[in-house]
Amino acid sequence: MRTVYRVLAYVIAAEVAVQAMAMVFAVAGLGKWVQDGGVFDAAVMESEESPFPEVVGFIVHGINGMMVIPVLALALLILSFFARIPRGVRWAGVVLGLVALQITLGLLGHGMPAAGALHGLNALLLFGAAVHTGQRARVPAGTQVAESPARVPTAA
Amino acid sequence: MPTRRVRLAVAFAATVAVVGPLGWLCWASRLPDAYAVTDMGYADTGGRPPAGSHAQHAVTGRDVTSLTADPARPADVSHILVAREQRFRLADGRTVDGYTLNGTSPGPVIRATAGQLVQVRLVNESVGDGVTLHWHGVDVPNAADGVAGVTQDAVRVGGQFTYRFVTDQVGTFWYHAHQMSHEQVGRGLLGALVVTPSSPPADAVDVVDVVALVHQYAGVRTVNGRPGDTPVQVAPGARARIRVVNTENGPMPVWVAGAPFELTAVDGTDLVGPAPVRDVAVLVTAGGRADLEVTMPADGSPVRVHLGGSTSVVLGSRSPEATGVRRPDATLDLLSYGRPAPLGFDPAAPDRTFEYAIGRRPGFVDGRPGLWWTINGRLFPDVPMFVVAEGDVVRVRVSNHSGEVHPMHLHGHHAVVLSRDGVPATGSPWWVDSLNVAAGESYEIAFVADNPGIWMDHCHNLPHAAQGLVAHLMYEGVRTPFTIGGSADNEPE
Repeated sequence: MRTVYRVLAYVIAAEVAVQAMAMVFAVAGLGKWVQDGGVFDAAVMESEESPFPEVVGFIVHGINGMMVIPVLALALLILSFFARIPRGVRWAGVVLGLVALQITLGLLGHGMPAAGALHGLNALLLFGAAVHTGQRARVPAGTQVAESPARVPTAA
Repeated sequence: MPTRRVRLAVAFAATVAVVGPLGWLCWASRLPDAYAVTDMGYADTGGRPPAGSHAQHAVTGRDVTSLTADPARPADVSHILVAREQRFRLADGRTVDGYTLNGTSPGPVIRATAGQLVQVRLVNESVGDGVTLHWHGVDVPNAADGVAGVTQDAVRVGGQFTYRFVTDQVGTFWYHAHQMSHEQVGRGLLGALVVTPSSPPADAVDVVDVVALVHQYAGVRTVNGRPGDTPVQVAPGARARIRVVNTENGPMPVWVAGAPFELTAVDGTDLVGPAPVRDVAVLVTAGGRADLEVTMPADGSPVRVHLGGSTSVVLGSRSPEATGVRRPDATLDLLSYGRPAPLGFDPAAPDRTFEYAIGRRPGFVDGRPGLWWTINGRLFPDVPMFVVAEGDVVRVRVSNHSGEVHPMHLHGHHAVVLSRDGVPATGSPWWVDSLNVAAGESYEIAFVADNPGIWMDHCHNLPHAAQGLVAHLMYEGVRTPFTIGGSADNEPE
């Protein structure tokens, strides 16, 4: 359980990296397309057709961010109930909370670009929190159990 | 051992506490296989007491299929449009997989003069999902509105449906599929409809009439199916009217290089006293139309009408090489363009007042999680049914808190803009059927309920409509025998 929890936390961190990569890939593709004579405006933006191949980056960013990562974060929280990691629930909650904040900021960014800047910053916080959550869970369960009885007599 | 069991129980309980509400919301949001739009959401009577129960209407009401043009009157203009699913060729040789009407996309331009009865027989030869035709901007009788599941069943392969309506209004309109519209319109089931005066006014000069229906095929923007420039011969000193139709899902700026222009009509309604302007763009919202008139320079130099970034109509006598200019920073504000004139009704004393607030929030629609559009805070299908009676003066406050622009389209009626963000309209009466409501904006609009039926009032960014940004306007005592879904597989969006 602990291993799954740990792997899931790292997967979330990796997904955040994928998100950053997908976004820059798409924006760079858009820039190149415009350089090559393409014209980007609301009609193209709202169209369901893909004018340039790197537009897949926007699609990946959307699906990953709105569906995959929230589901992973929710799964991490549920796992934390069973994994018996000290403060494991709290950290899974922090990751889920940052994911929720990240989606909110991302969508607010459509109408308020400054929120988009915070979306970029919060990505780093989420990445850090996910990595930390994974690292915290590194100690195998056995070690923890062996430690506890040793500490009890000392306290007594 | 007991502590382990307790711990497990707590973990399970916590899991249920997290997953349970989500699962319940998901389950509760499922839509029935078939439902009438009149059973959807809740009735909003706009401040009037309800006239009677829905059930009563169902028994005593008028059926939408009875709301037709005079069936005894012969047609003045008659067309047969055959819909096909096929591969077709654009003007530049590119091939596209999509839909055609009579073998072409866009379909033929339908022309009529004011007061004529237009009759169009739609035949579905091979469109597997079924088809309908909606007459965008024409205030047709309800039975001819072409909305699958509301005013008719989608026409299946081998079937047909006849639309009949009188063209009361001079102007630029268009027609398009309203079955699976977010897919079928995008892939070509559309065309232009132009209504001209029955007798030209005494002071009329010869005007070169240019239809410019802008549409993207497979990501390539075209004017009447042609990418890039569309040249039109116009003599020096002559006048040209460019009828711009934006069939896309986003607003499109239009601007003119080489001459001043007048914006003479919006959404099929002439503006009063339009002054010549230059260095300003006109924003044509999704589904909207704008008629621009240009007097050609006497020296024979060409004029370029930019339609969005990548397409233009080039008017010129000799040289087609009109230079383009970038989009002007300024956008023509229709709130103060032209001269005021009587509206023909008093919007200050409305019989009904409605709120149409667009928002966005996470939730479930038909079992699918996502971030959905809301109307007055609620998710589809829990949307208002705006109930009116014939003859009512209706005011609607449309506001957008969703962070993205929405082109709001009311079927069967034209509404006049009274104010935007509290600033009253001071220009020509600005009648719309498609209104660009940008993020953060709010509009007060008003109309007279003079066309009984059940009418969609939805976002014309068609994917948004498919995501649930759809409400309806319903007249008391009108009922529909059609359902969304069901055996006819009606999917209007």
